[in-house]
This record gives sequence, structure tokens and C-alpha cells, in this order.
Amino acid sequence: MTFVESLRTRTEGRRGKLALIAMFVALFLYPVILPFAVYEQGVLLLAFLMALMAVSWNIISGFAGYVSLGHSVFLGLGAYTGGLLAETYQVNPLWFMPLGGVVAFVAAALVGMVVLRTRGHAFVIITIALLLSMQVLVTNFRSITNGSNGVNVPLPFWSSDYQNMPFYYLFLVLLLVTIAFAAWIRRTKFGTGLLAIREDEDKAAAIGVNTTRYKVLAYAASAVPIGVAGVVYAYFLSFLNPIGAFALLTSVTIVLSALAGGRGTLWGPVLGGFVVTIVSEVANVYGGGSQSRLLVLGLALVLVVLFLPQGILPAVSARLARRRAAQQKVEYTDQTGVATARTSIVVTPRSAPAAERTAAPLLEIRGAAKSFGGLRAVDGVDLTVEAGSITALIGPNGSGKTTLFNLVTGAMPLGSGEIWFDGTRIDRMPPWERAHLGLGRTFQITRLFKSMTVLENVVAPLPTASWGLMGKDAVSGHEAERARELLDFVGLGRFGSQQAGALSYGQQKLVELAQVLMLEPKMILLDEPAGGINPTLINRMVEIIRDLNRQGIAFLVVEHNIPLVLDLCDPVAVLSRGKVIAQGPPSIVRADPLVLEAYLGPEWLPAEPVPGAVLDQAALSAKGS
Amino acid sequence: MLTISGVFAGYGGGDVLQGLDLEVPTGAISCIVGPNGAGKSTVLRVVSGLLKPRLGTVHLDGVRLDRLGTAGVLGNGVAQVPQSQALFPQMTIRENVLLGGYTLRRDKALLGKRYDRVAELIPIVAERSHDKAGNLSGGQRRMVEIARCLMVEPSVLLLDEPSLGLDPISLTGVSQLVKDANAAGTTVLLVEQNVRLGLSMATHGVVLEGGRVRLEAPAGELMANPEVAELYLGGAPTGGASAGAQVPRPAEPVPGR
Repeated sequence: MTFVESLRTRTEGRRGKLALIAMFVALFLYPVILPFAVYEQGVLLLAFLMALMAVSWNIISGFAGYVSLGHSVFLGLGAYTGGLLAETYQVNPLWFMPLGGVVAFVAAALVGMVVLRTRGHAFVIITIALLLSMQVLVTNFRSITNGSNGVNVPLPFWSSDYQNMPFYYLFLVLLLVTIAFAAWIRRTKFGTGLLAIREDEDKAAAIGVNTTRYKVLAYAASAVPIGVAGVVYAYFLSFLNPIGAFALLTSVTIVLSALAGGRGTLWGPVLGGFVVTIVSEVANVYGGGSQSRLLVLGLALVLVVLFLPQGILPAVSARLARRRAAQQKVEYTDQTGVATARTSIVVTPRSAPAAERTAAPLLEIRGAAKSFGGLRAVDGVDLTVEAGSITALIGPNGSGKTTLFNLVTGAMPLGSGEIWFDGTRIDRMPPWERAHLGLGRTFQITRLFKSMTVLENVVAPLPTASWGLMGKDAVSGHEAERARELLDFVGLGRFGSQQAGALSYGQQKLVELAQVLMLEPKMILLDEPAGGINPTLINRMVEIIRDLNRQGIAFLVVEHNIPLVLDLCDPVAVLSRGKVIAQGPPSIVRADPLVLEAYLGPEWLPAEPVPGAVLDQAALSAKGS
Repeated sequence: MLTISGVFAGYGGGDVLQGLDLEVPTGAISCIVGPNGAGKSTVLRVVSGLLKPRLGTVHLDGVRLDRLGTAGVLGNGVAQVPQSQALFPQMTIRENVLLGGYTLRRDKALLGKRYDRVAELIPIVAERSHDKAGNLSGGQRRMVEIARCLMVEPSVLLLDEPSLGLDPISLTGVSQLVKDANAAGTTVLLVEQNVRLGLSMATHGVVLEGGRVRLEAPAGELMANPEVAELYLGGAPTGGASAGAQVPRPAEPVPGR
């Protein structure tokens, strides 16, 4: 970025910030300047509430990508918590604001722990079910909730001359706090983890993100502000009934607000909350009755999906970016720089692998098997990787190499057999725990988080399960420095602030290697590290792998580039039809007729047998059975 | 003749191609090489209509392609095998390949005939025809992707890294496939990081750097160029046991024998 460009983006950012501040100052002054605009204040305070709920919803459904269709259940829970306690003890409900948040948190966490262990659409259904069943529960639990007769909340203690002004300010402050809360989450490791889950949940788990914990926490966190606001809402309404408090329409309006403004962005849901509330109010007043409001909202949803699938805010900023794009300079891989770079990097392995001390293998796979339908993709594989080795795994397409990787890293459950890593049995652990043990991997087709910047990608991995780590700034001090170092190491130092999706395939491959190094792994599984990479860079890649290996990292490499395998790896294991058919020093590749037939083809003429290579057919078939 | 002139194109973050001029003669196999991020895949995306150029034109035998969109470009006989996996994992191999002939769907007989031909040319299509594409390994998917493109009998075939993820046997298979298609009259424009393999298949070589053509020459000449070899082939022009070379060579002496 040139100086002028950076200046331009900076002033644009500052201009945006100034506009936001001006807007909120105006909102704060509004009731002071026009104290008798009671109706307008009423509409605005409902807009604050809607924006608050949309911003909260955005934490689980925008950041983490799990859509909740029943999010207003927390408004009802908060309202009933505050309302019932206030009625029973005849105190000001506002005292129960924190309790409203706690109740919402606990409810969301409990539901989340059950449903968020899995993936897919179950969550959406459960959120609706939660809302509707709460409605039924509150209606029928008469002894406590007074059923459909409702709850009379104590009236505001202030003089009626003030009208809604105190509520106006309460909701405005709550909205600001909620925005700050969401902004803080987005900035932390926790927030980056949520984005990672949205983009590619398997990959997130592979780099050490405890996806279950993150999702449950995100759901609970997104419930808290709404639960708190619910208490205020009860006070504002001064009367609660189950149908109104647990309304599906409110939930749908939350979703519409966030979608219209821009799901996943910080300010989009705020904008959407204002737009949707005001539009629906206009429809109410000028459209003749509340039914037209439904029509208008439905139409608005259709229009948003058709013309603004990303929402208002992203659409506007994309247009601005396009206008600026033509003047931007694009950077390329520093080909000569990388090829000639001799910068080395120091890896500090967390602790020397236990395997090094006990002479046991670092990774041991015993009788691993996995079937897809009738196809036995991995069929009783025994394989060991010694600490400090670079072991190759070669074999024809479809022989089960990538599947074996998936079994080792936990991306797929093991059918039968055992997998031991560094003295621990890992085959029943979730993927992130295996990553925390120091097991890292790269993918055959790169899987970076495409909407994040390169730097954010590299700092995303979590080497430990510590809770404290989650609250840390995502890109900060020591780690950011380390990430830049690693990017320099793979020759992509200048690309830190670019979107990962804009990089070419080969560049993404290198970023993925830098990413996995952030885990401080003891062992890295490389799935075709040289595929799609320029030959000059391949030589550099070999150097990088050797350099890392010298510092104690073991490698298991899947690769079709045979000269590279022969040059780099020792020992070599050959997989065919889900079984290991040969294992030994690199020379075995050319010496074993089985390997030649299954893998290399007739062009690699058999050479003379090599001592040390496993050639015994009988021994092989015995091993396979 | 495929003619690309004065093309500027990018993905919203600035232009990746910066005034690209390139000609691919009819019947040629032209191979684009260059560093990672030079814009090689972008060239193919512009030709196939996946990416609209900001400036410049693409012509095929006098027909202007760059405003047609993907369907129109395909209608003019240009088919692309993309770099990343693009099969429909829940469909069978047969369904995937037949979808390649989507534009011929009204002519059932022709569709069947083409399918039989493709299945004969690429054995995996026949062997696994009722298997779901999601069950194939990376390399096998590659073969099916190429098979799918051949369904329209394209006059220009765009290949983005055909060798990616292929084992040595499939590698020879794919390179033979490309040569066969070319012998049957298809013009081929391919991008290949396995530069030796790419140039050994090709008649023409193009070096791309910084979004512009830096060098254009017959493939053999390019391979012998020491500067090109140093920068993009990973070593001396004559080859040797460099790790960058991946073309299978007949039995070499086994080290330590």
C-alpha cells in the first residue's frame, strides 16, 4: 500500500467513526431537544431493542454461522424473570437485570450443550422448538406464571411527565454496551475461532479450536444481552403474557434485521434493526392495521434475499472497494526472493516428545480400518512414524492415503483399530485435543479461511485448550510477530493483510504450512506439499521441511513427486487398496515389483533387488490379513 | 486462433492481469508457466467467462468471448477443467460426466454416444460409473473432471493444473489424454506447475509474470532457456535429479547399489 492509499483508507475509516459518534450524540440529545416527541421516542426505543437483539443474534448466527430462529425466547425469559420477581416482592424490576442475563445464559448453555455437539440443521429446529415450548410451558405453569392471565409488573417509579424518556436512555445504553460486547468478541481469539467455525468447521477443529465449547459459549453469550434487555422490556410493557413475550414474529424480525443490515458484520445488524423497525412502524401507521406489517416484512425479506444477499452494509462497502480497486497495486510471490532466501526459523517444540526418551514410535497406527458403504478405504493399516523421521506415504490415487490422514487427525471416526501418538491413545479424542498434543496437518486441497486475511489465518491456530487464551486479542504482540516471521519464512511476508481467498493456490499452500507451524507441533502430516507449487519453490519447501525436521519435528508426507520423496524421506511406506504393501528405505520404491505394478507403472523398470527392502510376498500377505 | 488482447482483470483487490496479450494458434498445446500468484489461473478464468475482464478483449476465430458469460463461451466450444474440486459429490460418476453434456441434453442419442466414447477413453468412468463422486480420491476426481469436459468435444480445452494430485501412472494417462485430444483437433491452453511435464506436452510455452507475458517461445526452446530453468524449473536446463522434476524417467541407478 502506498502512502497516499493508506492515508485515504485511514481518513475514510476516521470519517466513518466520526459519523457514528455524531449519530449516537444526536440520539442522546434527541429527547432533550424534543422532549414532547413521545411517539417518536417510543419508536426509537423499540428500534434500539431490535438492534440490540440483532447484534446479539449476530454472535452465534453471524460470526459462528449457526442460525437461531427462536432468539426472542431469551427476551421472554428475561422479561418473565424480572416481571415475576418484581411482582412477587413488589420491588423495582431493574434490580433483576443481571439475573435476567444469567437465566438466559444458563438456558442457552444447557440447550447448546445438547444440540451444538453435532452439526447441521438440528440447531435451527431446536431453537424454534425452544421458543414454542417455553410459550406452552409458561402458559400452563399457572401456579408460578399465572398462565395466560399474565403478570402485572410494578409501574415505573418516576413521574409520568417523563413518559418513556428513562426507557429510551436505558435501551440506548444497553445497545451501546451490546455493540461493545460484540466488538470485543470479534476482536478476541474466541471471535476468530467462531469465524473459523463458520468458514470450515473441520479445519477449525484441526487447528485446535474446541468447536463444541466455542459454539455453546457463543450461543450463551448471544443470549445474555437479550436476557438483560428482557427485564427492562417487562418494566416498559408493565404487563406480560406468554403469547406476546415468546412471539415467533419477534424472532423472525431479529433475523430479518440482521440479514438486511449485513450478517456477520459488526454494524450491519444495528443498521438493520433501525431500518426494519421504522419500516414496520410506517407500514403499521400508513398501511392500515398490523396485518399489512406482516406483508411488508415478508416482502422486505424477499427483496433482501434477491437483491442484497449480503445485506446493505456489505453491499455498500463492496461498491466502495470496487471503485478503489482499480488504483490498487497487486503483489506477487517474491519468486527470486523466496528461492534465494536463507532465513531460517527457530521452532521451539513445546516439550521433547516422550517418544524420544522411550524410543517408542511417535505415531503408531495398529490395524486401522475404515469403510465407506461397501468400500474398504483403509483396510487394516499398521504404520509407525519414528520421532525425528520424515516418513513418506505413497500409493496410487484412491489407495486411502488421505483417509488415513483423516483418521489420524480425527476428521473422521476410526472404524476399528488403534492410534497412539506420543504415548497417548488418540483415536477417541476430538480433533482439537489431538492438535493440542502437537499433531498438525495440511490439506491436499488447501483449506484456508478465505474471508480472513492471511495474517488472521496464520494466528488462528490454538496450541492449547486454555480458557484464558480465548479472551486474548486475536492478532497481538508476540503471536502476531511470530506469525509474520513464519510468513517471511515461506516468502509471503508482504501478503499479511490480503484476503486469503485472493491468493493463488500455491500461495495458499505455503500459508497453510505457516499456519500449522503456529501449533508448535511435534509432528506434521503433509498432504501433497509440492502439489501446485512452482518447482523452484518446491526446492525451497524441501529445505523448509529439512530445517524443521532438524529442529525435532517429525513428518508424515503424502506426495506423488517421486524424486522429491526419494530425496527427502526415509523410510517410505507404500499403500495400495487400503493396505500397506511395502515399507522400508527409499530404495524399496524402485526395487519392489508390487510397488512398481501398483504405483509407478511400467515406465519404471524394475531394478535389481535392494538389500533391506521388504520383498517377501508371504510376509506381506500375512501382515495384511 | 484464440486471441487475448490488452486484458486487465482481478478479484476486487486490484488487477491480477495487467495488460495481457496472448495468442494461442489453432491446434496448439500452449502451456502457461510462472511463479505462484502470477495470474496463470486468472487467464483461464477470463477465457472461460468465469471472470469478466475490466478492460481488454478475448476473441476465438473472430467471435468475441469476453461478454458472453460462461454459458455462451461453452456454446462456442471452450471448456474448462478447474483447479479445485468441482464434481458434485452426491451424484454418481455417470451423472457427473453426463452433466458435462448438459448443453446436448435434447439429443439423447448423441449424449449416449459421447458418454461411451469418454468412458472408453478414461477407464475410471466406466469402472466406477455408479459410485458417488464424493467417494473418489483426489486424483480420480481429476480424471472424471477431464472426462466431463470432453463430453462437449470442445474446440478449446482449458486445463488448470491437470497433474495436481495425480500418481505417476495417472500422470502418464492424463498427459496421453491431452495429446490424444489435441491430435483429434482440440486446441489446448493449460496451466501447469509441474513445468517439465507441462512443457513436454506442449508445443508452445508462455512465461507469465506480474500479470503480463514475459516470454513466449516454442516449448522446447523454453525448456532449454537457462534463465527460465533457473527461475521456474528449479535447476539446470538439462534436468538432473532435482526434486522439482516429476516426469517419470525410466530406471535410474538406485543409490547405494
